[in-house]
Amino acid sequence: MVDLPPDPISMTIAIMTSPLFLKIAIFPGLTSIGIIAAVLTWLDRKITARVQLRIGPQYVSPLGGILQSFADLIKLAFKELIIPEKADRFFFVLAPVFGLVLGAGLIGLIPFSPESLISNVEVGLPVFLAFVTLSPTLVLLAGWSANSKYPFIGGLRSLFQQTGYEIPLWLSSLGVVMMAGTFNLTKIIQAQSTGWFIIPQLLGAIIFLVTSVAEQERIPFDLPEAEPEIIMGWQAEYPGFLFLAAQGAGFVKLYAFSALFTTIYLGGYLGPGPLPPLFWSLFKTTIMVVLVILLRGAFGRVRLDQLLRYGWTLLLGLAIVNIGITYFLIVGFPTI
Amino acid sequence: MTDPAFVVIAAATVIGAIMAVEARDLVYGAASLGISFLGVAALFILLDATYVAVFQIAVYIGAVVVLILFTVMLVGPVKGEAPMELKRTSLFAAVLVSMFLGIGGSLANANAFPGADMCGASCDLQKLSQTLLVNYGTQLEVLSFVLVAAVIGALTLAKAEKD
Repeated sequence: MVDLPPDPISMTIAIMTSPLFLKIAIFPGLTSIGIIAAVLTWLDRKITARVQLRIGPQYVSPLGGILQSFADLIKLAFKELIIPEKADRFFFVLAPVFGLVLGAGLIGLIPFSPESLISNVEVGLPVFLAFVTLSPTLVLLAGWSANSKYPFIGGLRSLFQQTGYEIPLWLSSLGVVMMAGTFNLTKIIQAQSTGWFIIPQLLGAIIFLVTSVAEQERIPFDLPEAEPEIIMGWQAEYPGFLFLAAQGAGFVKLYAFSALFTTIYLGGYLGPGPLPPLFWSLFKTTIMVVLVILLRGAFGRVRLDQLLRYGWTLLLGLAIVNIGITYFLIVGFPTI
Repeated sequence: MTDPAFVVIAAATVIGAIMAVEARDLVYGAASLGISFLGVAALFILLDATYVAVFQIAVYIGAVVVLILFTVMLVGPVKGEAPMELKRTSLFAAVLVSMFLGIGGSLANANAFPGADMCGASCDLQKLSQTLLVNYGTQLEVLSFVLVAAVIGALTLAKAEKD
């Protein structure tokens, strides 16, 4: 019996039904990321509106206008792609698209349940943070390539902000690594089976939350966009689909950072009762998303000098103090 | 047979490095440098050193490339040849080249690379730091010249504005 080469159709079917492909394509991969980013856009507008005693999206679909963001998505995708004449076309197009791809790549590292995990990297936490450090480069290139005043100011502000807050972000997550003794996100979750890390790492968790909001450029740290002063900053010149990519990347980052916070501080998919692990991880992620959105309704924008001073002195100092506290916790209470 | 992934990544790294020097537009040069660093990180991943790759990305792309881009953008894109003082530049280059020749010569002798690999699979932190700082001390210092070069490059670009 001679081995026949497998025919292309059955091979394609075999690839399409393999668990890894389904995970990448459907959940927690691309399809779910697209839908969740669209729903988060609606949630962001709706919650902010309710906090400010407005109604928010209302007319599209009976359920509080939940389909508004899908309608916006279709509208933006079919708009004419106008690229400014003096812009650097290569980076102008590349930066937001690459940013969206990077944002989606972050989701691939998060263990939503023991099964729904795309890539179990041994050093998952630093890989996640290293992906995040690429975004100021892209934002700076996006702001520069538009060859216009406001995008460039926005790009520079983003550079100040993101590079300044990266260091406290890395240092605050170090406390978790010290307690768990591993960089692997799944093992960090398993190390929390006796107690969530948010209790011994409360200071670290607060620093992580503040710096991650700054990395996402959300209010109160939305200086690079700052609609009233620099008119959306680095996104000002972006047309249709590219604006969609730039905005979408922001919401994918919101989702990814909330999922990471859940994973390293709130016990990830661990939870009581008969409910599946997937429910718990998504439930906690949703709570974190809503918390970050509520910040937008509650606070005003910080000034650039305040932002830099807090980042380089207060947060950096507290992150180092947190590492010291963690050391004494580990030495003093080895049972935790 | 050489791994095809290695060939592709190595080619991308080398082309990125050449582009970084040869690109007309300084912004494109800095971006090519970023691509070259990404290629180096990918090579580290091929060597199963994901942790090193992570810090390659975080430090070199997250900090060095961003600093270079920032400086280039602040002083504005330089059109054509930048005016430079030939005498001082060539003197400086001569000093640098002779320094690197000296370092290269000291590395080329047989004792520079100890044969026995002190840090195997069962290697604690103490042994690792000893290997890194005692046995491979010179090599570590040479690697740090990359950072020095980045700082000098940024200063040169920032100074060009005033001339």
